[in-house]
Amino acid sequence: MAEHPPSWAVFALPVLLAAVALVTAGADALLAAGARAGPARSPREAAARAAAPARGVLRELVRQPRRTRAADVALVRVGAALLPVAAMLAGVVLPLGFRSVSDLPEGVVWYNAMEALAWAAVWLAGWGPNSALSLIGGYRFLAQGLAYEVPHMLAITTAALGAESLRVGGVVDAQSGLWFAVWMPAAFGIHLLSALAMAFWGPFDRPAGRDVAGGAAAELSGVDRILLLGGRWLLLVVAAAMSVPLFLGGGHGPLLPGWAWTVVKTAAVLAFLLWARRRVPALRMERWTEAAWVVLTPLAVVQALVVAVVVLHR
Amino acid sequence: MDLRGRIVRAALGRPRVLAAVSAGATERRLAVEAELARRGWPCAAAPAEADLLVVAADPGPGTAGAGTADWVARLWEAMPAPRARVPLADAGEAAAVLDHGLAELRRRGGARHGGGHRGGHAPAPPAGSPDSPQDPDGPHAGHDSGLVDGLPLAGRADDRDGLRLDRLHLPLGPALPDWPAGLVLRVALQGDVVQRAAVEADPPGPGRLPFWNEPWLRAAAGERVARGEAARRLCAAHLDSLGRFFAVTGWPDLAARARYARDRALGGAGAAELSALVRPLTRRARGSRTLRWLTAGVGVLPAGRARSLGVAGDAHGRMLGWLDAVARAASACDDGAPLAADPAVGPRGPVHGPVPASRALLDALPGLLEGAEFACARIVVASLDPDLDELARAPLPGAAHG
Repeated sequence: MAEHPPSWAVFALPVLLAAVALVTAGADALLAAGARAGPARSPREAAARAAAPARGVLRELVRQPRRTRAADVALVRVGAALLPVAAMLAGVVLPLGFRSVSDLPEGVVWYNAMEALAWAAVWLAGWGPNSALSLIGGYRFLAQGLAYEVPHMLAITTAALGAESLRVGGVVDAQSGLWFAVWMPAAFGIHLLSALAMAFWGPFDRPAGRDVAGGAAAELSGVDRILLLGGRWLLLVVAAAMSVPLFLGGGHGPLLPGWAWTVVKTAAVLAFLLWARRRVPALRMERWTEAAWVVLTPLAVVQALVVAVVVLHR
Repeated sequence: MDLRGRIVRAALGRPRVLAAVSAGATERRLAVEAELARRGWPCAAAPAEADLLVVAADPGPGTAGAGTADWVARLWEAMPAPRARVPLADAGEAAAVLDHGLAELRRRGGARHGGGHRGGHAPAPPAGSPDSPQDPDGPHAGHDSGLVDGLPLAGRADDRDGLRLDRLHLPLGPALPDWPAGLVLRVALQGDVVQRAAVEADPPGPGRLPFWNEPWLRAAAGERVARGEAARRLCAAHLDSLGRFFAVTGWPDLAARARYARDRALGGAGAAELSALVRPLTRRARGSRTLRWLTAGVGVLPAGRARSLGVAGDAHGRMLGWLDAVARAASACDDGAPLAADPAVGPRGPVHGPVPASRALLDALPGLLEGAEFACARIVVASLDPDLDELARAPLPGAAHG
């Protein structure tokens, strides 16, 4: 069902992803301001609150980049820039409806490989500034990676297994009837958790946590800060959007065209994540890793096994 | 106005504010935080993200005064341009001082862009926060005596598992987000595990009453203080502690709600409104199994020690204790009956004990922090939340009480 996309799609993708990230961040800022200062008294105030992330981007653009003593500036720059690049590259295989910028034959693996670049990105950005709190942020992300990556890989492998295809388009085609989220709920849940963890956001935000004064982002200002923190939102958007083709039937749905279903489902997943983050405290890896390895990994293996058995007997 | 000027104006319209708060400046900190929330200006967690530095720091007594100027200066140096700095001498001036800061910031932002001037890089690491990877006074185990850009390399020492790992000596505080004002912890860190911690408490300048204990101190001095006022202060004090606790445990939503309730309590909200704000907060914090799983068993005090400090045995229990006290105090804050002078028990404990209640809490810290992972260490500090204002035992004017 996959069709070739127009060539301008390559340029449209970053713009679209950035716009979605900005809207998502705006919605989050609106909720956060409501909790801190009560409901907005006027629509104008609500709009000003929601514009906080956009204002933040402008603010960093007029600010001077800052360097700490004995910093490894190259590492910081590479780390900060790598994060949005990784998110954009991962987004290449995201279908809008039934078309993606590139429906690679091994798109699922590509997505996983690009998203894993975040490990390097956050570690470099944390290590580079020669600052203890920033370094702790870097350590935390590595520990987080050790906790989430194995269940995450098993979860996306399960989706590919169910479709008998590593092509994201193939996974979508396999869900024209039943969504994968319905008959592989554990894999879907694990994918959502790892989407949060790879974007080090929400309950998994400790690598950039406020208790370490911003962790990996603690020493960044100017463009570096936009890249790292913006890259984090992009990664969240891409990972959340990826759960639509992998588990929620992609563009399949009644009445509406495929692209509209993708938009609706992605918005629903993001809204759910925004809501969920306000309901739980942050998970410390020192406790979560045990849960990830003792509960989630075996669960993901069992889920993959069940799907494998079903596929073999189809 | 030209486009660039407009962008600068829009960008700096709601500046990110970093407050440098010393012990004794609690009332000013609260005023700034409430005013920032009202305006929707964000609070910075580190100097790197701050535009505006609000200095609510008294020069401390003796040599500590120089120390205060020192850490504030280092915070200022670590902020990238355009930046502005304003002193706050009185809580009532918070709004005016922020307005002044904004005007100053816009002036500097405009000047910088108009003139195309580009300042130098922040040269020195700020005290206590993010980058002072090495404490020059600290003992360095091992023999790696190299210098990089004038900074010594990390020494090595055995870690808790008997491995030889790099060890960093660094001060935590006084300018960390959600941290007791005036507190400095000198820690030896291996990775993110605290090996040793020593408390260095900068006492507040003389002549300031500890803000959280004020109603009880005034009642003891013979003034007529309503019980409701004391309940309101207690409620706000614990909500302030809860705000820090939730912020440090990574639950910004609940932290924001606790702080909103705190601001309303200090802003004179009635018992009904306060109870309505506090109830959902209490329900969510109590009902969260995740929070229990994450904070139970953190910072465990022996039963006897906990009892003498008047707190629960672990971080989760201490939070529950605050929640109970907040709910009780919220419903009592319209009580007009006079507050009895005795017993005078403030938010942290007896107001007139032989040792300030917060001093005892500080003394309990080092033992609890040894071997704790960094995030746990933050939770331990937040769960005890010592109030360094109490360390100044300024006698009340005209009070014979001691």
